[in-house]
Amino acid sequence: MDNPLPMSNDKITIEFNDRVVRQFLMATVCWAAVAMLVGVLIAAQLNFWQLNFNTPWLTWSRLRPLHTNAAIFAFVGNMMFAGIYYSTQRLTKARLASDFLSQFHFWGWQAIIVAAAATLPFGLTRGKEYAELIWPINLMVVVVWVVFAVNFFWTLARRNEPSLYVALWFYIATIVTVAMLYIVNHLSIPTSLTHSYPVFGGVQDALVQWWYGHNAVAFFLTTPILGIMYYFLPKAAERPVYSYRLSVVHFWSLVFVYIWAGPHHLLNTALPNWLQTLGMTFSLMLWAPSWGGMLNGLLTLRGAWDKVRTDPVLKFFAAGVTFYGMATFEGPLLAIRSVNALAHYTDWIIAHVHVGTLGWNGFMAAGMIYWMLPRLWSKPLHSTALANLHFWIGLVGILLYVSAMWTSGITQGVMLNGTAENGTVLAYPNFLDSLAAIRPMMLMRVIGGGLYLTGWFLLAYNVVRTVRGARPVNGSIEVFASVAEHEPATLSLASAFFNPPVLFSGFALVFACAWMFGGDILRIAGIAGAMFCIVLAYIHFESRGRRWADWYDRLLVTALPFTVLTLIAVIAGGLIQIIPTMVANQASNVEDRRQIPYTPLELAGHDLYVSDGCYLCHSQMIRTLVSDVLRYGDYSRLGESIYDHPFQWGSKRNGPDLARVGGKYPNIWHLRHFEDPRSISAGSNMPSFRWLLSAPLDYAALPKKIAVQRTLGVPYPAITDAEVVAGARAQAKAIADDLLAAGASVAPDREIVAMIAYVQKLGKYEPVAQRVAEKGSRLSD
Amino acid sequence: MFQRLILHDSAALYTIAAFAVAASIFVAVAWRALLMRQSETDRLGRLPFETPTPASQHEPDSKSATH
Repeated sequence: MDNPLPMSNDKITIEFNDRVVRQFLMATVCWAAVAMLVGVLIAAQLNFWQLNFNTPWLTWSRLRPLHTNAAIFAFVGNMMFAGIYYSTQRLTKARLASDFLSQFHFWGWQAIIVAAAATLPFGLTRGKEYAELIWPINLMVVVVWVVFAVNFFWTLARRNEPSLYVALWFYIATIVTVAMLYIVNHLSIPTSLTHSYPVFGGVQDALVQWWYGHNAVAFFLTTPILGIMYYFLPKAAERPVYSYRLSVVHFWSLVFVYIWAGPHHLLNTALPNWLQTLGMTFSLMLWAPSWGGMLNGLLTLRGAWDKVRTDPVLKFFAAGVTFYGMATFEGPLLAIRSVNALAHYTDWIIAHVHVGTLGWNGFMAAGMIYWMLPRLWSKPLHSTALANLHFWIGLVGILLYVSAMWTSGITQGVMLNGTAENGTVLAYPNFLDSLAAIRPMMLMRVIGGGLYLTGWFLLAYNVVRTVRGARPVNGSIEVFASVAEHEPATLSLASAFFNPPVLFSGFALVFACAWMFGGDILRIAGIAGAMFCIVLAYIHFESRGRRWADWYDRLLVTALPFTVLTLIAVIAGGLIQIIPTMVANQASNVEDRRQIPYTPLELAGHDLYVSDGCYLCHSQMIRTLVSDVLRYGDYSRLGESIYDHPFQWGSKRNGPDLARVGGKYPNIWHLRHFEDPRSISAGSNMPSFRWLLSAPLDYAALPKKIAVQRTLGVPYPAITDAEVVAGARAQAKAIADDLLAAGASVAPDREIVAMIAYVQKLGKYEPVAQRVAEKGSRLSD
Repeated sequence: MFQRLILHDSAALYTIAAFAVAASIFVAVAWRALLMRQSETDRLGRLPFETPTPASQHEPDSKSATH
């Protein structure tokens, strides 16, 4: 029903589109159960490797992307859309702009989730965390997100409430920033319908990935939920947000600061030092806005704490906001370089993300669902006692989970980083010692996760019993037929930019760039210009300060300029980090060492490595830490991975680093290890990858892959397609002959041969300085 | 220039510059928020309550029809 019914000359009644809210709510309940179920399964697989039943598509490394994508995009995504659509209609006093777009959004999003579930277990992946979906699904995501954005902004344009409540600001930031992040990190060149290479490689890909990965947490898992908090928490507590002023500061400081913090995922790596410092600095700055927001949420409950005892909705909200505080305290802590040296690649990070996802997202989702359910179906909740039981089971589950992972992570960090004899030898040289030590904690994680899942099943049961036989109802509101006379002054798009604050900031930025990046004369002009801008801005503010304030007041009630300026704020942080790194990743700029490109067979092995999700357990980045160097060899240089599309630095070490494993063991060692890891490494929890021995290698795909790699800048010589295949077959035959000589008969056209070729190449480089020296020597000759 | 920028630690200066920019934005926004009129913040803070919402019967004090 798009057209509101006229009630009188002055007022009309608007019926909200709550149907789509109910749809997203039910989808949340279902997909959350799937995401958590897969989570419990893969947690159990780390304890009992047999649980993949020797099946590729049930193997940990294929299911882990399914778990994370389902938790982020299916669970939190659906929850977020339900909350945004419900609150936006009420805050704007307008029905969603288009019923068709709303339905397209819902069914499109569900189709994407089903497509993800149908591809990831079969190894169809881009190999970048939380960005694994293959390129045709990426296009679907972009289309559906654009539909969501159109529907949202169209609704804002038709609103009957002139002011934009702070929750809507968070939604706007979410929509524009996720669009930007998603598009940039998913830029790829296809080699087939199901495979593509990211346009970025090496350090550049690492930075873009974690710029995206970190801000997916920020703008997909945090800002929309904060918007939901600012709407639903006051509604549930029946009192306004504690401080609206604080919510304004919370919003702007989060938007400006969050986007810069991505490099903290790459501390102590080959990432340029200045970027690491930048990421750490901005991560620490996040403490202030995050805790400001948390305190604002908790203090909203002032005078309502007695209700928290009996009301499950407020219980979930209070605990959810508390977990937000815990997660946002822990995040900056982990971003301190020395703490990160201990925690990175360990289960501590797993604890951190689950405090956020289970505690913050999961509990806010549960509170929101319990609050909306009786209102969307006009029927009391089936059982408040069951909802309370859900809360306590879920809480115990989270606490068990995260305390186990904290303990496990710190144990891993201490054991794997520990040295003896004045730092000259490793305290625990065998990686598997650390695995044996954390096994009890990994088991406790399964129990904690299982309890949380049980709690969710209670919610699902409560939802089903509540909805059964209930009548869905849509909310409505009476508004004035015309709001023009009540509308405050707004801004045109042009006047949003051509005004003193923006112009002074823009000019100051240009001069600052000239100062930082320019030559001698430009640098002096930049300093002078920047200083002049600041002084002039101060004088102007002193004399015409009212114009500055007027611009800001108008901006806050004008959706389009507000959105554009928010986008510029988040783009700035990204560009300043990414552009220099793009230059850094060029072969001509690399110093010290440069990666040797993969041969066609090795490239096929690289793609299998990505497809089977090996990067989820094995890093290829030896950090600049004594323990890393003692354990894995010389630290990794920036140039040693410049041709990796995607990069393989990894984010977790369930197994050892592989950056220099090439040539360390004979081919037969790798064959036996892939076939049965425990025959080589007693006590290993790595699943068997036995199917690699029987699956045929797709030689026909190689020429196209090489052609795309060449387009991406990998310096392959000009060879024909036939030569590509012939070269691969020749190398495969050599490896198969070597295996035969060692007592194993493997056909050269099996995937295992390509995989062995790849791992044997890891760590191979050419020394750049030597090449330059040789070139100079040749010239002098 | 870029190559120097990415490979030398002296570039940490840019971190300080970035911090100064972000901090100035934070101070400006906080200052502006503090200057908001009390009546305006009260009105904005009450926006979620302008649309009536049916009470949920599981809530302990659900006697009122709307809140």
